[in-house]
Formats: sequence, structure tokens, C-alpha cells
Amino acid sequence: MGNQSGQSYGLTILSPIINNGSRAAAQDLALRHHLSKLANGEHSPFAKVPGTHFVRLVVMGDVVFVGYPARDEHLKSQYLICTADFDGELDPYLQTLARTIPAELDAIWKHCVGYPGATDPAKFAEYIKKCQVETTLYFSDVNDRTLEQTLKALLVKTAVTAFAERYQGQPASVVQPAFKKFLTELSQTPAPRPGAAGI
Amino acid sequence: MELNLCDLQGFVARGYSGRSFPVASFLLARIHDAASGREFLGRILAEITTGQLWNGKKPGSTLNAGFTYAGLAQLGLPEPTLQSFPVEFVQGMKSRGKILGDTGADDPANWETIWQQDGNVHMWIGIYAESKAALEDRCRKISAAMLETRGATVLQTQEAGALVIGGEVSTKEHFGYSDGFGNPDIQGLCRKPTPGQGKLTDHGKWVPLATGEYLIGYPDEACELPVSPIPYLLASNGTYMVYRKLHENVATFRKFLKERGGQYGGGEKKLAAKLVGRWLDGTPLELSPDTENIDIVKDDARNTNFTYGKDSDGARCPLGSHIRRTNPRDAFGFSGQLVNRRRIMRRGLPYGTYVPDDQPVRDDGEHGIIFMALCASLFRQFEFIQQQWVQHGNDAHLGNDKDPLLGNQCDQDRFVIPGDTTPKNPPFVCPHLPDFVNLLGGEYFFLPSITALRMIAEGGVDPR
Repeated sequence: MGNQSGQSYGLTILSPIINNGSRAAAQDLALRHHLSKLANGEHSPFAKVPGTHFVRLVVMGDVVFVGYPARDEHLKSQYLICTADFDGELDPYLQTLARTIPAELDAIWKHCVGYPGATDPAKFAEYIKKCQVETTLYFSDVNDRTLEQTLKALLVKTAVTAFAERYQGQPASVVQPAFKKFLTELSQTPAPRPGAAGI
Repeated sequence: MELNLCDLQGFVARGYSGRSFPVASFLLARIHDAASGREFLGRILAEITTGQLWNGKKPGSTLNAGFTYAGLAQLGLPEPTLQSFPVEFVQGMKSRGKILGDTGADDPANWETIWQQDGNVHMWIGIYAESKAALEDRCRKISAAMLETRGATVLQTQEAGALVIGGEVSTKEHFGYSDGFGNPDIQGLCRKPTPGQGKLTDHGKWVPLATGEYLIGYPDEACELPVSPIPYLLASNGTYMVYRKLHENVATFRKFLKERGGQYGGGEKKLAAKLVGRWLDGTPLELSPDTENIDIVKDDARNTNFTYGKDSDGARCPLGSHIRRTNPRDAFGFSGQLVNRRRIMRRGLPYGTYVPDDQPVRDDGEHGIIFMALCASLFRQFEFIQQQWVQHGNDAHLGNDKDPLLGNQCDQDRFVIPGDTTPKNPPFVCPHLPDFVNLLGGEYFFLPSITALRMIAEGGVDPR
């Protein structure tokens, strides 16, 4: 399994964090602070980007060898790890990302080495691809359905169960017209918002 | 491998069956101080029932003991030893409420008084007896030892016992289900493996689980020694016990069966069977989807001998039914390795008086189950089952749906019964499940070996 699984793309990025040593505004601390304040769920900035299933941001300070004998070895840099599952191809997604939430991206990646900013989507995409490593494992719930299909499926599951609860045991003469009406209404109901709770 | 059965507590080595020991008392006690508490423990030490085989000389009553973390601290165990216990045991069940789903009606605020204050209960003393007289006799002796040593006080005596229905001692609980099938076979403990009770090999054979899934001090299914307190001798041959007093809302249950059973095409009895995965008499749905079959129930080679592989949509046994959730057997693939690490030994017993079907019953009557489960890791085994399989449905592909019987429903959850096209087995959705069971309190206990009990009594626990 590589970066693509069916129509799903698994993006893994390691961006080195600027090392400005012991200065008052250490970049890693500032980045951790910023990430801790980011909203989750439907208020996440990434919920605005079409086709995004999941995005996770982690600061990797060091990798410590746990074993015998202990080794005093360290990473050359701290890294921002970004993992994302989204629909479609990498290039168009990165461009959309840069066009949709440039300010939010800048606020995160400005702490990283060589970051060109998101004002120019092409340069942003080029930078991200330089930081990319191959994805080998996906979040276990990635199932080759698009975000839209997944959200709609959740809506359908909830609605069909509610319909079954309401009409089970009733004669066909009641259920059939009700089901036709239900289908029409369901097809006209928009998918829930990405990240929305309670579906 | 042979286990030293003389070093195991009898309650750990075997369950005391309702046929031999129909009545029980669980004394929940508080230890006064280290010196007198150890003296009390020393006084009853020789009376503790071990796992040694009885060879026809069955005692009239049994005696076993366990301690909460607060109890071990009160008995003066050294600080380094206390700090080496797993965090969930140290915290205790009340503090783990959010993980266990003990919220709303099951919140500790609604528990019995003795459980409300942290660290109040120190000791569990389990007594099983062949008769009321033998039980009272043993309880009197324990009380006398407490008084003489001034070592402990009983905070609550929880009576329990096999339900007597129509004058006969039964294996049923208050909802009417036959209970107590399917404890895991453990290497070194089971003399003759029972099909369906251990782990399933790739060749479809059932073999006992690794000893370390149940007892501390032995390799488990991952070929690791479970996390255990120090010194090794204190931990080895011991295990942990979950104690939960579960009140059963019998009126709610019967009303639910009547109402929903009237709407469900399979009828009341089948609805009851679909909730649990077994008919009321214990027949597994997987083996007999349309009718009870007492021949299967009585046959130990068959009554737990089934898998779910050919019933992946749950048309026979619903994916969300109680026994399929809490022991999914082969349902998750990977040669059962995910399931083998989540098995627990159940030692539960009903309390209260059975109200026959044809008599009026109230929810607030005295009826429930003292759920007791034993395992080597409370976190990995009991808490996982409770959090992921009882209070959540994702692993069973059921979203947020909970265990229909044990789940903390809050009137918001549903139970889906998959069906097929035959009129006897229609699909059905039970909406607005009520709470059938409410938690009235409980705690985590450590059940030491006989050697460890003696070390504790003698003040000889040395972590160095």
C-alpha cells in the first residue's frame, strides 16, 4: 500500500521546525501552543477544505531509543508531522488547500524551515511535496468512499433506522407511500457538514 | 504446565456452583489499622479455601478474600509495593467511571452509601455455603475473629445465592435467563478442555488460553508477563476481581418484552433470545435459531461450541446481542488473537428473591446480580470489554449502539435485530431502549495467592 488506496490519498508530511535555540519565542513551543488552540470537528480549519476526511498535526520533538544499552542520540531537527486522508489526487488537493485556508496554513507552517507561504498555491504544493514521506498505513476507517459519500451514508443510516422504527409492522399500504415520500425527502436532504457531531 | 492449586484461592481456581453452594455472603469490610488488620487476616488464614481438589470431601462452606488498593495500604504494605500496582487498580472503579460508562443513572452519586466515599471499602470476604445454617455459622466465626482482634468491621453484608424457582435451585437470574455459560478454559486450570471455551486454533480446535490471561506471574497470549506488583511472590498466583452490584429493573424488562414482543414478528420469547444470543433456557441462538433445545443446553460439548463465521450478518444471533458483543469468538478474524486478550472469568451470583412471571413485580424490588469477574489485567480485559463492547458498538459495526441488556441506555439507544425473509425471523428495530440494569456500586479487588495472604498477614512483604 502506497500513498493511494483506491480513490483515497494518504498524505504524510514531516516538516522540520525552525531551530532558534533558546530565544524567548522558541518556534517549537510557539507551534505547540498554536496547535493546542486549534478547533476540532466542524470548526476545524480543515473541515472547510473539500474532500478532507482527517487531518492530524503532531510535533515530534525527538525519538528516544528505549532499550539497553541506552543511547544518547537525537534527531537533527524537531518535526511537524501532518497526516491527512482526502479524496483524489495530491496536486489538486494541495492547491485547493492553499486557496481555501491560506492564513490558517501560514499560522501553522510559518514555524517550519523553508516554508514559502500559501499565497502562491504552486509554491505551497511544491514545498509540501518536498516534505512528503511515503504513507504505509491508513487510518483504519478509510474505506475508499469519498467524504461526500461517507457523510451521506451516515445520514442515510440514521434516517433509514428512524424510518424502520416508525413504520415496522405497519401494512404495505401505509409503508409504501411513506417510503416513497421518505426517499424523495432523503434525496433532497444535503449531506451533513464535515465534522458535524451527532450523525 | 501444572499449577500449584494449593497456593491458589479456591474462588480463583474454580467457581462454586449453585448446586453445591446455593447461598453466599459477601462481607465488605473496613480494616482498622495495619497491626490489628494483619492479626485478623492471620486468624482466618488457615480457614481460607484453596484450589486443592476436594476428592469427595466437599466442605460445608468456603472462605476467600480480596483487598482494594486502600485495603492494601491500610494493611501497611510498603510504599514501593503499593506504587507498583497497575494504575486502574490504584484509582479504583469509581474513578474509572468515565471509561466504564458509569454516568447518568449509574453515576457514583446514585450508588449505595458504602461505595460513595473513596477508599471506604478495604476488603471483600466471600463465603459460599451448602445451607443457610452453614453460611451463618461461618459468618459468625468471621465476625468473632473481627471482634477479638478488633482488626476489621463489616460495612455491608451482601447476601446472594442461586435463585430458587418453583422450589428448585436454578442457574437463572431475575430476567429469567439461564446464566453462567462459557467461562474461558485456562492452561493449568482446566482438566478437560470444553469445546467453545478457550481459544480457537487455525484448525478449528478449541484449546485453553495462556495462564497469564488469568493469573499474574505467567506468560499471557502475547507471550509476556502481565504488569504485576513487586515483589513477584506477592503477585504470583493472584488475580484481580471486578465487583459490581447490578440492580435489575425486572418490571421494566417484562413490560418491554410484552410490548415489543407484541410488535416483533418472532414474539416475546424470541425477542428475549435475540437480546442475549441465547434462549431463556440457555440454548445458543447460533445453534438453534428457532427454538429452545434443552438437549443442547445440557450437553457441555455443545452448549458453548459455536462460532459466528457463517452468520456474519447476524440473522441467527444479532451482532449486537449480549454474548456476541462480550465474546465475539471468531468474529474479528486474525485467528481470534484480538478476542483472546479480552476474556474474563465470570463468578457472578444473583441477589434478592425471584418473582415468578405471573406475579406483579416492581423495578425497585430487591433483585439483581453481583457481577464478579476475574482477570490478570483490569485495564486490558474488563475495562476494554465494558468500554468498547458494552457501552459502544463500533467493533460490532453498530455505531454508537450499546449492549441491549447491560448498556447505559438513557432511553436514547436502539437494538437492531437483523432478520431474513422467513416469517419466523423478521428484522426488527427496538427503539428507545430503557435501562434494564443499574449500577449500585462496586470496586476493584486484588485476590492474592495463599502465600501472598500469609506474607501480608505476617507483615513480610518486602519489595527489595
